[in-house]
Amino acid sequence: MSIANLTKAWQPMSYGFLDASAKRELRRKMLKAIAVPGCQMPYASREVPMARGWGTGGLQVTLTLLKPSSVVKVIDQGADDSVNAASIRSFLSKVSGAAETWDTLAASLIQSRHRIPEERLHAGQILVLQVPNPEPLRPVEPNMSIARQMHADADYGRLWLILYERIVRSGRIMEGAAYPSLVNGRHVMTPSPIPRWDVPKLHMAQHLTFLSAGREKRLYAVPPFTKVEPLVFSDVPFKVEDHGALTCHRSGVSGFYMNEIPQDNGGSAFEVSDSHLGIKAIRQAEGEADRIGATWYQNGQLA
Amino acid sequence: MTALSQSPVPASVPVPDAFEARTNATFEALMWALSRPGTVQTLPASGMAGLAEALVDRECKVFCDDPDLSHFVAFTGAALVPAAAADHAFLGLDRAEGLKNLEQIPVGSALYPDDGATVVAFARFGEGQKLRLTGPGIETSSEITLGGLVPGLWALRAARSRYPAGFDMFFICGTSVIGLPRSTLIEVL
Repeated sequence: MSIANLTKAWQPMSYGFLDASAKRELRRKMLKAIAVPGCQMPYASREVPMARGWGTGGLQVTLTLLKPSSVVKVIDQGADDSVNAASIRSFLSKVSGAAETWDTLAASLIQSRHRIPEERLHAGQILVLQVPNPEPLRPVEPNMSIARQMHADADYGRLWLILYERIVRSGRIMEGAAYPSLVNGRHVMTPSPIPRWDVPKLHMAQHLTFLSAGREKRLYAVPPFTKVEPLVFSDVPFKVEDHGALTCHRSGVSGFYMNEIPQDNGGSAFEVSDSHLGIKAIRQAEGEADRIGATWYQNGQLA
Repeated sequence: MTALSQSPVPASVPVPDAFEARTNATFEALMWALSRPGTVQTLPASGMAGLAEALVDRECKVFCDDPDLSHFVAFTGAALVPAAAADHAFLGLDRAEGLKNLEQIPVGSALYPDDGATVVAFARFGEGQKLRLTGPGIETSSEITLGGLVPGLWALRAARSRYPAGFDMFFICGTSVIGLPRSTLIEVL
């Protein structure tokens, strides 16, 4: 043993920003997360050059996976060009030399805040969702030690109580996002604040999904071909948002999840939330050779 | 003030060193192996040492029954501990002694499933016992054959798995790796 083999050559920065020990810890926890789908695994969330709550959890998982041949796409509420998405994407490519893309089909690694792309993800792709609150039981049990015991006992009755109360009060499911879902028939997870529209995309999917909460220091995963079932009552079926009949006022596509844009006259216009899908549709209409891949929804119905 | 008007020096593109490239590729193989149980993934190098350097460091407690590998693991900074205390175990499951060690490997609990250990062993793919796998990561079911393993292994695994408690296994054959997470149901055919 000598100094030479105990130390490493000086580098201005670790490849992919995170140091090797941070990556090893994340790797260990990511493997455990895959082994127990939907179960939250604690990890020592590192400092990254971004404030907690802005996607640091997703960022750490992405940084661990990055390699020079990766092609990264970053989405913020469906858009590739928002400030948050653009800065995360440029940071990722700066620290790793990975290629950047807006195209869902071309990406190998997709970090997303609150949306799953409308085009189907394929077998080699990894989706990393940023999670603000990983604990589905928090509204019913603020004490995290007791919540952990409830997860251990699969004691999820109180989540149904919330759903029941909402249905009694409002006559319909009111959860707009982060709809609690049972993974592999055992653990209830919150699928991060994706709309209900996106929850069925996780069920028996081709791709691998990591969900990571940097501030809360927990990560969990949904492997490919894993059952993800939204909690429902047998007589009140799960319903996604009623967007099937809406048409995007810019690209003309219809049958996808839309953003509502209030108008001066009191009405609203709709714009497709997956911004690059809209861009592709516009470019196709202009005669360019953009290809829209197979989508999870067709004419507003889950295919 | 010329500095402001000049175009910035093009930032150099970071390049992973050999260690980073190797451990990244090893982890990617392990990740897909565990995500799609039963599929054969390719490691950048043969043997268990690559797994150790990608996963294990001084935060880990490792059990290792191969003296050569023990030396390598100690070099990563991990503590070498008895099987009952290990979070990573590099076992020889081709002999009865390996089974004794596997009997003691921590499986975690329903409260802390992440305390279940990661077990790494050598096996021969495509010969020996036929197994049918079902569970997360497998669309319907898949069949694999694993040889060079001591009889009674699968019965022991079934007996010790109380999902979500259990241990996760990687089998290595040359540069190939198969992952069997605790969520996979194994039927011995």
